[in-house]
Amino acid sequence: MREFQKLLQQDCLRDEPPFCASACPFNLDIRDFISKTQRGSFSTAFRLYQNTVGFPEIVAQICPAYCQNVCIRQERDESIALKKLEQASIAYTKNKRPNRYHLPKKRQKVAIIGAGLAGLGCALRLTARKYEVVIYEKTGQIGGGLKDLMTEEEYLPLIEEQFIHDKYQLYLNQRIETLDELEADAIFIATGQSGDHFGFENREGATEKKGVFFFGGQHPVEKLASGLSMAAAIEGYLKSDVMRDPVKPEPTRLKMDPESFPIQEPQINLTENAILTQEEAIAEAKRCLKCQCDACLRHCDLMKFYGKAPKRIEEEVEITIHPGTLDGDGTVATRLIATCNHCDVCKIVCPQGIDTGLFLLQSHRAMEEKGAMPWVFHEFWLRDMEFSNSEDAKIYSLAPGSTKANFMYVPGCRLGGSNPEYVKASYDYLLKEEKDTSLLLSCCGAPALWAGDIPLFDSVLADIKEAWQSFGQPQAIFACSTCQRIFKDHLPEIEGLSLYEFMDAKNFEPAGQVKEQLCVFDPCQAAGHAEMQKAVRNLAAKTGLIMEEKDDVIKCCGWGGQVQIANPRYFDGVVKSRSADSDLGFLTYCANCRDVFNADNKEAHHLLDLLFNLNIDEENKLKRRKTPGPALNRLHRRTLKRDLLEQFFGERWEMKKRNLKLYISDQLKKKLDKEMILPEDLEEVITQAENSGAKVVHSDGAFSAYLIIGQMTYWVKYRIKDDGFLLENAYCHRMSIGD
Amino acid sequence: MEKEKNNEELICFRCQIPLVLEKTFFNYLDHTFFTDIPTCPKCKQKYIPESLVKGRMAEVEKELEDK
Ligand code: SF4
Ligand code: SF4
Ligand code: SF4
Ligand SMILES: [Zn+2]
Repeated sequence: MREFQKLLQQDCLRDEPPFCASACPFNLDIRDFISKTQRGSFSTAFRLYQNTVGFPEIVAQICPAYCQNVCIRQERDESIALKKLEQASIAYTKNKRPNRYHLPKKRQKVAIIGAGLAGLGCALRLTARKYEVVIYEKTGQIGGGLKDLMTEEEYLPLIEEQFIHDKYQLYLNQRIETLDELEADAIFIATGQSGDHFGFENREGATEKKGVFFFGGQHPVEKLASGLSMAAAIEGYLKSDVMRDPVKPEPTRLKMDPESFPIQEPQINLTENAILTQEEAIAEAKRCLKCQCDACLRHCDLMKFYGKAPKRIEEEVEITIHPGTLDGDGTVATRLIATCNHCDVCKIVCPQGIDTGLFLLQSHRAMEEKGAMPWVFHEFWLRDMEFSNSEDAKIYSLAPGSTKANFMYVPGCRLGGSNPEYVKASYDYLLKEEKDTSLLLSCCGAPALWAGDIPLFDSVLADIKEAWQSFGQPQAIFACSTCQRIFKDHLPEIEGLSLYEFMDAKNFEPAGQVKEQLCVFDPCQAAGHAEMQKAVRNLAAKTGLIMEEKDDVIKCCGWGGQVQIANPRYFDGVVKSRSADSDLGFLTYCANCRDVFNADNKEAHHLLDLLFNLNIDEENKLKRRKTPGPALNRLHRRTLKRDLLEQFFGERWEMKKRNLKLYISDQLKKKLDKEMILPEDLEEVITQAENSGAKVVHSDGAFSAYLIIGQMTYWVKYRIKDDGFLLENAYCHRMSIGD
Repeated sequence: MEKEKNNEELICFRCQIPLVLEKTFFNYLDHTFFTDIPTCPKCKQKYIPESLVKGRMAEVEKELEDK
């Protein structure tokens, strides 16, 4: 399972430096510098800059601004004017004296050859660490190549200022002939391209000779960076006797889509010598994106909800599955694991294609196998699947009067649950187009897959496969993109296409016209299917519908993964957030998207409403249809079976007789729907109580009784009324009464 | 749905005697705990009001799910 951790370590770009910082020879922490500037905290920005570059007032003048050449903003507007921000940090900092470090004096001595910026930078760091430093310079002045960029009067005081606390010894006009003359514990050759190289090859870092280090860089700024970083390598050697190259900034692997941020032109005076006002500097800093890979965090609802990136998620999930193997902060991710919509958004938006959702699915399975996933997160949905796949609702059949099948219609379980007419009308159409279209009406097993119950999932798949084989291995036609996805991933031998592509290819002519404008809401499982998306738009256009497109990647309506019980607050937030994507109503082609939105008072219509003229009034307007609650959804599936058998197969089908007659007020019905309590379960509670007498009598004469169904305990308060029972109240709890 | 009547007298239908508060154990996700619940002293028939279910019990359930 730690494969995902390895994958993240190798491929995830979250910890990659921004473009600018990786081009900066000093590896300045530009995101931090920017944050400080954004807050108007110029002196802390300056401190960071000073500690990084050594001679801030020199670098801010002469640096060629490597960062600005690679800033991603230039692909949209203008690079962030970092150099000007650095100059501003200097201009608005009063106390620029370097920090003083109180460290014990070191006994070791370092000799530096060359008083250019490489040598001076190295000396600055090492003297601050309290080493004894001697610089030998063959000319009569310090600064090296700096003199071509600034005057001595300008730079000498700026160098001196940084050495006010700790001094070095300087020997001018002192040419070193051989290293043997030097009495030192370490030597840094910082002589520049044209200077003496003492027989060493021109390569920055630790040389093959113990204690001797060699400078790098072309421009004085690069040399300074080399000297600063070399000081750390030299100190490392002095402490541990190991020769190592200094750490250098690595090229970043960061990838960012310039389209992912808006254009924002700079509002500052860009002329060479102008110093920004504080306001200008803050505004300019605010244009900086503080580049860091956050594609998944920006798009994934789960990561947004928890405020956690994949690495953090991986750690917490790992601790949750294997408690005790690691000491974490004790955060348990059980609910997080059960919150994933399995919408693929993370994988689609990740520049590295990292599939956090798949990791969460596997983790869910691991938790389920250990018995550590609370049963309640999925029991309702698993029972619902059981119902869809029971004699009450399922039909597996060749077309009426057929002995073979070229096609197999797979409407899925939720389409008919939403509205039985969707399935009846579409099957009617398919039979007219292809009279040998067989019917596979059931649940594809997604609830078991999402619950991590793999044996159960496999048994559903086996059942489907057997039917398909008995039909003669026809091609599948899917009305539900979740079914289609499940088949593609787990029953790849069954080829298929969406109902919408089929209809589009057959040049379907819709039954009526609509005068409406809707925003197209592609279901998350349609994300990879450009053909399906196109077919849907072609078909909808034929009805006269005016379509608006969403300005976002395809995201889940909230339904995916059936996370509603595991994390109701998350679920509500996702539905609300999607609803806000457009002021218009939605056109979708997934029954779950349709139902989820309408249940939350967001108008949404199924494409089949338009195509088969199912909810259109005389004025060609679409009628709003409420979302059936769990009880009605089941009833729809029952009547669908009855009607299909009667209408197409000429069979009479008796729906299972309800045991009892229940009287339920509308208000109570609403409550039951909301709490996902099925009246048929309550019938069982009452039947059992009436048979056994195990009930209590309230002072007003009503009865209360309970029964455990599945693992849930259901309570009913009721009275006997005429030929049935009047329900007064019902509720359920997850914990069970012990003995 | 309705206001819970406090201290309402509840009668066990089978034994026709009033329920009394009795220490009752609950199990959830491999944890056990107890509280006092109206219980028939004879046949142990229980009654749990909705207020307890939606209140303290729901809280404990949620806590255990996050454990
Ligand atoms: S936008 Fe900011 S963080 Fe990104 S490359 Fe430019 S300066 Fe660096
Ligand atoms: S599958 Fe969807 S909800 Fe799950 S982690 Fe990926 S983006 Fe987030
Ligand atoms: S999108 Fe997320 S998972 Fe992918 S590289 Fe970026 S931070 Fe890492
Ligand atoms: Zn009793």
